[in-house]
Amino acid sequence: MIIGLIGVCLSGALADGPRRGIDHIKVVAVPEDGSVLEIIDRLTKLSGYAFLYEDNLKDELHKRIRIENGKSLQEVLNSISQQTSLEFRVVNKNIIVRKKAGLSGESAESRQIKKVSGKVTSKLDGSAMPGVNVVLKGSQTGASTDVSGRYTIEVTGSNPVLVFSYIGFSTEEVAVGTRSTIDLAMTESAETLQEAVVTALGIKREERSLGYSVGTVAGKDITHVVQENVLSSLAGKVSGVQISQTGGAGSSVSMVIRGAKSLSTDNQPLFVIDGVPINNSLSNVGQVAGNGNTVDYGNAISDINPEDVESISVLKGPSAAALYGTRAGNGVVLITTKSGAKNKRMTVTVTSNTVFDNPYKFLPMETKYAVGNLPYQPNAQGVIVDQSGNPYTIDESQSQWAGPELDKGYKAIQWNSPTDENGNRIPTPLVSHPNNVKNFVRTGITSTNGVSIANGTEKMDYRLSYSNMNNHGIIPNSDLFKNSLALNSSVKASNKLRISTSIDLSQQRSDNRPASGNGTNPLEAAYNVGPNNDIRDLRNYWVPGQEGLQQLSVAQGSYNNPWFMAYEVNNSFVRNRVFGNLKADWQITPEFSLSGTYALDTYNEKRETKITNSYTKETHGGAYGLMNIDQYERNVSFLATYRKELNDFNLTFSVGGNDRYTTSSNNNSSSKSGSGLVIPNLFTVANIAPANLNYSSYFGQRGIRSLYGLANIGYKDKIYLDLTARNDWSSTLPKGANSYFYPSASLSMLLNELIPMTNRISLLKLRAGVAQVGNDAAPYSLYNTLGNAGVWGGTIIRLTKSGSILLPTLKPELSTSYEGGVDLNVLHNRLRFAGTYYVQENRNQILPSTIDGASGFSTKNINAGLLVSRGIELSLGGTPIDKNGWRWDLNFNFTRNRTIIKELAPGIDKYTFWTAGKGGAWTYVGETVGDMYDAQLVTVTDKTSPYYGYPILSSDGQWNSLSATSARNKIGNYNPNFLLGAQTNISYKGFTLNMNFDWRAGGSFLSQTYRYYESDFHSKRYLESIVSPNGLTGDALAAYLKANADKYIIPHGNFFPQVGGQTAATGGFSWAGDNGTSNGNFIPGVTAQYDDKGNITGYTENLGGPGTVYFGYNDGYAWAFNKAALFDASFVKLREISLSHDLPRAWIRGLGIQNASLGVYSRNIILWTAAKIAIDPEQAFQPTTSPTGSTGSFMQGVERYNVTPWVIPVGFKLNVTF
Amino acid sequence: MKNTTRNYTAVLVLVLFLVSCKDITELNKNTNGVEPQTVNPDLILPTVLTETGKTFLNLGFGDASGIVQHTQGDAFNAGRDYYDWGQSNSWISPSSSSGDFYGIQRNNKLLYDRSVTLGYKFHQAISLIVKSMNFGLVADLWGDAPYSMANQGETGTPETISPAYDSQESIYAGIMADLETANTLLATNPASLETVSSGIDVIYDGDPTKWRKLANTLLLRYYMRLSNKKPDVAKAGIEKIVNNPTQYPIILETADDATMNYPGVTGGVDDWPGNTYFDASGQGYRRLKPCQTLVSALQKLNDPRLAVWAKKVETPLAIDPSLPDTTDKISNGVRYFGVKAPALLQTQKIAPVNTDPNYVGLPPGIQSPSTYNANPVVGQASYNPHVSYLNEIYTQPSTTKSPLLKARLASAAEVQFILAEAALKGMAVGDAQMYYNAGVRASLTTWGVGSQYATYIANPGVAFVGTVKQVITQKWIASWTAATEAWFDWRRTGYPEMKAGPYAKRPELPVRFYYSIDEQRYNTANTTAAMGNLAQTQYSQADGANSAWSKPWLLQGSGSPSNFPY
Repeated sequence: MIIGLIGVCLSGALADGPRRGIDHIKVVAVPEDGSVLEIIDRLTKLSGYAFLYEDNLKDELHKRIRIENGKSLQEVLNSISQQTSLEFRVVNKNIIVRKKAGLSGESAESRQIKKVSGKVTSKLDGSAMPGVNVVLKGSQTGASTDVSGRYTIEVTGSNPVLVFSYIGFSTEEVAVGTRSTIDLAMTESAETLQEAVVTALGIKREERSLGYSVGTVAGKDITHVVQENVLSSLAGKVSGVQISQTGGAGSSVSMVIRGAKSLSTDNQPLFVIDGVPINNSLSNVGQVAGNGNTVDYGNAISDINPEDVESISVLKGPSAAALYGTRAGNGVVLITTKSGAKNKRMTVTVTSNTVFDNPYKFLPMETKYAVGNLPYQPNAQGVIVDQSGNPYTIDESQSQWAGPELDKGYKAIQWNSPTDENGNRIPTPLVSHPNNVKNFVRTGITSTNGVSIANGTEKMDYRLSYSNMNNHGIIPNSDLFKNSLALNSSVKASNKLRISTSIDLSQQRSDNRPASGNGTNPLEAAYNVGPNNDIRDLRNYWVPGQEGLQQLSVAQGSYNNPWFMAYEVNNSFVRNRVFGNLKADWQITPEFSLSGTYALDTYNEKRETKITNSYTKETHGGAYGLMNIDQYERNVSFLATYRKELNDFNLTFSVGGNDRYTTSSNNNSSSKSGSGLVIPNLFTVANIAPANLNYSSYFGQRGIRSLYGLANIGYKDKIYLDLTARNDWSSTLPKGANSYFYPSASLSMLLNELIPMTNRISLLKLRAGVAQVGNDAAPYSLYNTLGNAGVWGGTIIRLTKSGSILLPTLKPELSTSYEGGVDLNVLHNRLRFAGTYYVQENRNQILPSTIDGASGFSTKNINAGLLVSRGIELSLGGTPIDKNGWRWDLNFNFTRNRTIIKELAPGIDKYTFWTAGKGGAWTYVGETVGDMYDAQLVTVTDKTSPYYGYPILSSDGQWNSLSATSARNKIGNYNPNFLLGAQTNISYKGFTLNMNFDWRAGGSFLSQTYRYYESDFHSKRYLESIVSPNGLTGDALAAYLKANADKYIIPHGNFFPQVGGQTAATGGFSWAGDNGTSNGNFIPGVTAQYDDKGNITGYTENLGGPGTVYFGYNDGYAWAFNKAALFDASFVKLREISLSHDLPRAWIRGLGIQNASLGVYSRNIILWTAAKIAIDPEQAFQPTTSPTGSTGSFMQGVERYNVTPWVIPVGFKLNVTF
Repeated sequence: MKNTTRNYTAVLVLVLFLVSCKDITELNKNTNGVEPQTVNPDLILPTVLTETGKTFLNLGFGDASGIVQHTQGDAFNAGRDYYDWGQSNSWISPSSSSGDFYGIQRNNKLLYDRSVTLGYKFHQAISLIVKSMNFGLVADLWGDAPYSMANQGETGTPETISPAYDSQESIYAGIMADLETANTLLATNPASLETVSSGIDVIYDGDPTKWRKLANTLLLRYYMRLSNKKPDVAKAGIEKIVNNPTQYPIILETADDATMNYPGVTGGVDDWPGNTYFDASGQGYRRLKPCQTLVSALQKLNDPRLAVWAKKVETPLAIDPSLPDTTDKISNGVRYFGVKAPALLQTQKIAPVNTDPNYVGLPPGIQSPSTYNANPVVGQASYNPHVSYLNEIYTQPSTTKSPLLKARLASAAEVQFILAEAALKGMAVGDAQMYYNAGVRASLTTWGVGSQYATYIANPGVAFVGTVKQVITQKWIASWTAATEAWFDWRRTGYPEMKAGPYAKRPELPVRFYYSIDEQRYNTANTTAAMGNLAQTQYSQADGANSAWSKPWLLQGSGSPSNFPY
């Protein structure tokens, strides 16, 4: 009853199936003696035709026969037919094997002839499926579908059953019953889908033959839910891969495979689209002009239109990627775009998506106190008055929110208070406005519309697609637009020569990307609006009468109007990009083929910044800047392949070469920070006074020439060995020492075929690989030139020697990886498991290490050292339900990685990633990448003291700290302990529910946002954390605190106790500077007495008794300790949820529509965070810019004002195929 | 088969094509910058001079002026007022408040090497003088420091990547030797020296005789610095210089002062720190207020320089017992209190109110200085109508707009006061009173009030009484915006007598900077060893050895400062 499918096409030029008739295929190199099964297996590989047969033919198939090489396939099949009771019939790409007529043993009497017809479509996209085999089970009767997927077949027998089969799809049996029309939507088969995997150099391979782990994602799985950046769609779907969005929509998306392996680079993998290496990096943070105007322009991989993607292969380790050389150390993402080859008639597909991003969660700010430093007191009329009894003016230029209490019926003079007839300002009620940021942001709308036309014939195929994306961000006046036009086509120039090309033209642009970090960031400005102000009062953001010159601000010169920041700081960009290739495949002989490819990726990006006058840091006419970035990469390559079958061995040898050339240039003209423009708001370069003009240009180039070879050796389709070798010659290494060689080997063994096993095990595979990848340096890494230190006084040139030490004798980096794994599929592939363990050793990394500045330099390039990454990747997939039209698929991916610095250069004992406050992230030799350190609190260390563990305070009542280095005080690690992704897909009768969960467990991040907002008393959390004295004072208070020392005295976690309150009513103490308001607090601990030599001789309590040092409650934040703002980074996100429905055919047929589906979806919903502070831990990235402002990157594990509100998106999707 | 052969040939040709191209490493020639090997030293010299000038001013107008109580801050003031630097005073970071001494020296070394290659004696001498100034400051601020092994990181050995520290003593010795060398180099007939391009020398505009005077002035400065620790060496050195003016010309006239102008064209690069042109919020200017210690000293002496540096208080306070007790009202620009005005009493908890009708300084190191003197607009924005601001000239970005805005590296006044002190300490240098008077005159001239010299020098307290205390007090006044010298003078002599404010980290003034977190992080072993050479005092406390109150070599056993003689 089961129809076996023997063999699928192998690789290379034959991969897409047979293109010649069987009478034109010459049978060569097939063993002339063997069982039918063995021989037709060989013939499959030779010809690309798949043989289909029923398992009741087993006896016949095991019969030994003889054939002759050199004949045509037709002749060979005829010969087999003569030697057996079998006959062969070609149906499209398949050869159906069956018993000769008259031998089926069926009686003539039972034959009642009836016509059945119908249409076969693909469940995937609803497209018609031409060439599907339709066979009456147990007979020789067969038919195949026409170009519109229609078939007609005559059936006989008492209980006829039709068998539908097509390569790559699950074979289905349908009982005819009394019906005369049978339509069928065929499902792609998971099993066969897994088998054809795109590997390095675009070579398609059976997955079972691979000795390394490759993650694959089908195109359909990234379009259930449309994301602006195609990388976002991969989150949680592939084990070993961590995807993180660094900011709000349109920001860069980081993809790290198997953990950070390089300390100094962004660790992004190489992206190869249809053989074209694509420039992508995380260094997209720039400051074109303006003071504190740091903008993330998004990474260039977002230029890809997700609808064009056929499949994505993630080559995780060097074993898989070794052939890509230099850039493969971080893994390779191979993206294959859709072609028209599958579409036997012209198919038009239209997709339309619209998603609404509804912001719903904001930083929990305090709303109890107005802006100010001291609360002051209301008079009898409820007017807050100063010491003189005059109405108090809320001083909005204060950064702290520790002023008078709100919502108590009090009044004070506020920034927009009216004046009376005498010109005196009238106090207005102090009311809290808790929804300021909510009232500032808007619902974001993203709509993506696309259309594609595809068709394929014997001679040629094409697919042309156009896509358009419009995004209006949740920050007012922010947007993003994308247009892309892609053509994918191949032409069969002759029987042996095929020429193909793919070209992608795209434009991405924005009128305004909002700035991130601190400075012009509109969200920062919005969060800075005090709780006593209604942000909507700032909506008309000009001072009346001074439109264009002076923004309306609660505190002119100190604080910016968020709407002004949104509308009058404009960071626009436009990126025009072309990438594509031209490829020729020449099948010279059946064994020997040659291909050549020319691939190009180039883009121009123009960034322009216009800042209108009166941004607090640009008050001299505004700011203007123009930057032009050009990137160009060209690769010319060839690959010669020779295939040979020798007895039980299946051999493929290839040699190839590649010539890569890249250039990069950058031109920038802008006004210097704070220097301004001659005529306000005239945005031209000519309007910048010469002394205020910042200008720079850069040109860089690099070339790498490579030769490589690979060998695939298969033994009886049971054991596979892959060997590769590559040599590169790079332009960036020292002359005469710029050549480096690296090999790889991997082995795959199919134990289930080697050892007899229960047939419940469909696949048991062991795999192992070892590989090396060499890497060169960035251009110009050998010698430094002098840089510009800024012209003095507009005339005096000041050159400066770079603070980084370069190495003129650089050696290439060498990364060696070892991986082993097992794949196990059981219960007819309904349960699938894969596990991989890997070790990767990176030697001789070229990285700038921060060194002691007393050496004269701040960094020195290291070209030594050893980094070791170890990790586990597990994936478990299953189909718990597959019956009665219900299908439920589940998939889990587990990832854990740790990277250890084993060695660095002599004299260097740690590598520093970033520093902030008094701590930062650095890793000592022998320890783990991601560790974070902080200043250590000074406490009583004498265990016999009753004050053991108490903080030792200075005479000003504040904490003391020891430096993070001398104390070696580790406080966390920013990498997660593990990642767990889960996908579930439930389908029933045209309805599909798809969900993708992503859980990241463990890890910490430093929130500079909280650090600043807590020290300024904006954060509700901090306000609530102050320990209440519970009405106690003096010794009673001290006793109470001591009784609860672990809770109220000894700092723990991110809690540094402070005792008191904001007012007398909430526990505040009277103190020297309180202006009569009792807002005094103290830090519980002890002060110490010292002798002349500095030794401790005793302690004095600072616990509320006599001598306790008090200070204003807003001065008590533990600013010196990053730990006070360190949070658990664990979270769970629902990356995707979509419900789609295929419209019943009956409804749409009349419209000429083949298939239509409707969907509703959402994405990136934060379900849970451990920190509970309304910051997305995934966005714990802080952008940095280099001093030149041209490029910047991200510090990981720390954020500052990266506080995009959380959103609940609601999206709609329509898909129509004509 | 024939086809196959042809194809193999094609592959071979392709391979040959690939490998036979021109040398690919030629692509790696960096055309984006000037080669250090060929650079004209005049393109480096301004970098070295301007960065040095800025560093001296930033300290002398910044944290050091807080230590010596010339100024105090009333917001973001923990460093200036309380000495709570948290080990962030780094000598290596361009962004630190203390300076990037080794970064300057990196360029200075290139300047020196290029000058030697080209045989440029004048450039060599400038380079040595600037090196001495910078390392002199490092040794004075921190104590032991990398010196002989410093700035050689390019050799790449572990000893140069993490350089060992030299003792403070040997750094002084090295500096003095370099200054002698500079003096000798410049002793050549000036006409035979190479010229420095016009405008490039932002200190002396290419005048070698003035540079020579600066070299010897610095020598004099360091000899005096050693006078407690090594009195004999100091005496011999100072006498050697003073008694041989031909061989050791020094700065005796204000025209020879080593100063640098601020062009004020680009914010953050060449503008006066804290100006309100580039900092439109004005907070940088407002947060810095004259310290009451300086204000009362100047008032006591009826010093005309006070009006140059400080603004009169906007709204003076007055206590009028004739008014009802709880009065608090503003009338005729004065805020009047009755004797029991509640706000007044509240504020008195911090410090007594200051009812001076003209100048009110911030008392040193008080808690919440923003609340001082019954300020009605408490907070970080630093508005306070009852405390004097700095004079308006300090809101300007450039010397062009305000001619007094200069970095002051060494001056005739300093020299005259050094000589006066030397004379009073019994060195054979001449008449103390003559030097003292000349010092006072030079400083008044510098600050544009030279015409009032005759009146001022006759004032009680100014008129010469022949004490070191008086000399150093005048020197302390004269070092306005160049306060590092005043700090080191206080450390040596204990004058003027100052106590840390009540809310300062410790009850005494600090005597050094902490070795910074960065230095500890990147040069752990050597920094730890250097900490071992510091003498802890009772004020080091929780800091341990690396404290601003631990004594470096210069102070150990020298009996200074007198407040904590250990």
